[in-house]
Amino acid sequence: METQPVKKNISSYIIQSQEDEIKRIALELHEGVGQTLYSLYTGMEFIESAVEQQEMKGYVADMAQMLERTIQEIRLLAVELHPPTLGTLGLLPAMKSYLKLYTSTYGIVIDLHNQGIEAAISERESITLFRVCQEALANIARFADTMSASITFQWKPNQLSINIKDQGKGFDVSEAMKKSTGIAAMIERMCLINGECKITSKISEGTSIDITLPLY
Amino acid sequence: MVYNGCGQTGSGRINQACEVVLSELKCDFVGLALQNTDGPDVKWHYAAGNINEKFKRITVRYGKGIAGKVISTGRAMSVENFPENISGKALEYPIMLAEGLKFAYAVPIHFKGIPKGVLLIGSRTGQSINENQKSFVREAARRLEQKLNG
Repeated sequence: METQPVKKNISSYIIQSQEDEIKRIALELHEGVGQTLYSLYTGMEFIESAVEQQEMKGYVADMAQMLERTIQEIRLLAVELHPPTLGTLGLLPAMKSYLKLYTSTYGIVIDLHNQGIEAAISERESITLFRVCQEALANIARFADTMSASITFQWKPNQLSINIKDQGKGFDVSEAMKKSTGIAAMIERMCLINGECKITSKISEGTSIDITLPLY
Repeated sequence: MVYNGCGQTGSGRINQACEVVLSELKCDFVGLALQNTDGPDVKWHYAAGNINEKFKRITVRYGKGIAGKVISTGRAMSVENFPENISGKALEYPIMLAEGLKFAYAVPIHFKGIPKGVLLIGSRTGQSINENQKSFVREAARRLEQKLNG
C-alpha cells in the first residue's frame, strides 16, 4: 500500500511535469514557430513590394495578412499557456494582465486589491498560485452567475494571503467536492507548496476562497 | 471598414430588429456580434432578452467562441444541450455562460460579401428550433446585412 508521502510526491511530480511541458510548448510556440512565421511574413512583404501584377500583389497581401494574424494567434496562445510575466515581473503583474483578458472574455469585472509589498517567491510557487486563482476565476465564469468579483492579495512578512470573493449563486461545498475535480485540484496544488486553500460558500450569497502560502 | 448601421439611428434600428427576432421566435436571447473595424477581434454590440450587461464587455478572437467561429468559417453553427457534448471546453463559449444559454443557433452576417458579423438566437431552457425557424433567422440576418451595408 502506498504511503501518504509517496502519493504526495507522485502528485507533485505529475503537476510539475505538466507545468514544465506547458511551459516548453509555450516557449516553443513563441520562440520557434512564431519566429519562423515572422521570417515568412517579412519575406511575403518583400515579395509583395517586388510583384508588379496588381492581382498577384493583392493575393500576396492577403497571404501576408493571414500570416500576421497567425503570428498574433501563436503569441496569444503561448501567453495563455504560460504567462511570461510570471517569471520576469512576478505574480501580481501576471495576474493583472490575466484579469484584463478575463474581463474581456467573460464580461465579469474583477476588482483587484493589493495590500503590502510583493515578496519574491519561487517560480513553482507563483505558477501554482496563478493556476489556483485561474481555476477559481474560471469557476466564477462558469457557475457563479455574477457581474463582478474581487481578488485581494495581502503580503505579510511571513505569509501571503489571497482572497477571491464573489456574490454569485454560491454552492454546497461538500457536494461540489465530491463531483468537481477542479476544487480538489486547487486544494491539492496548494498542499504541494505547503500552502492552504479554504472554500466557503452559501447558496444565493456567494463564495469566498482563501489561499495562504507561508513565506520564509 | 465602416458599418453604416452603427450610428445613433442605425443602432436603434438594429436593436429593434433584434427585438423583432426575439418576439417572432419566442426565444430567450438574440445577440448581434460584429468584427472590430481595426482588428480581427469580434465584439457583441446588440442584444435583446439579455439578463445582464456582460455581453457588452465580451470580445472574442477571430476563430474563437461561437461568434469568432461563425465569422472565420462563414457558416451557421448550433450548440445544443450546453455544456454537455460540446466540442472543446465550456469556457470557450463565453456568451453561452454569460447569458445562461443551453441552446444557440448562430448565422453569419456578410459585409461586402465577407462574413463580418453574427446573429445569434439562444434559449435558456434548451429548447431548440426547427428548420422553418432557422430559415427565419437566416432571413433576419439578410435584413440586418442590408441595414449594416445600407
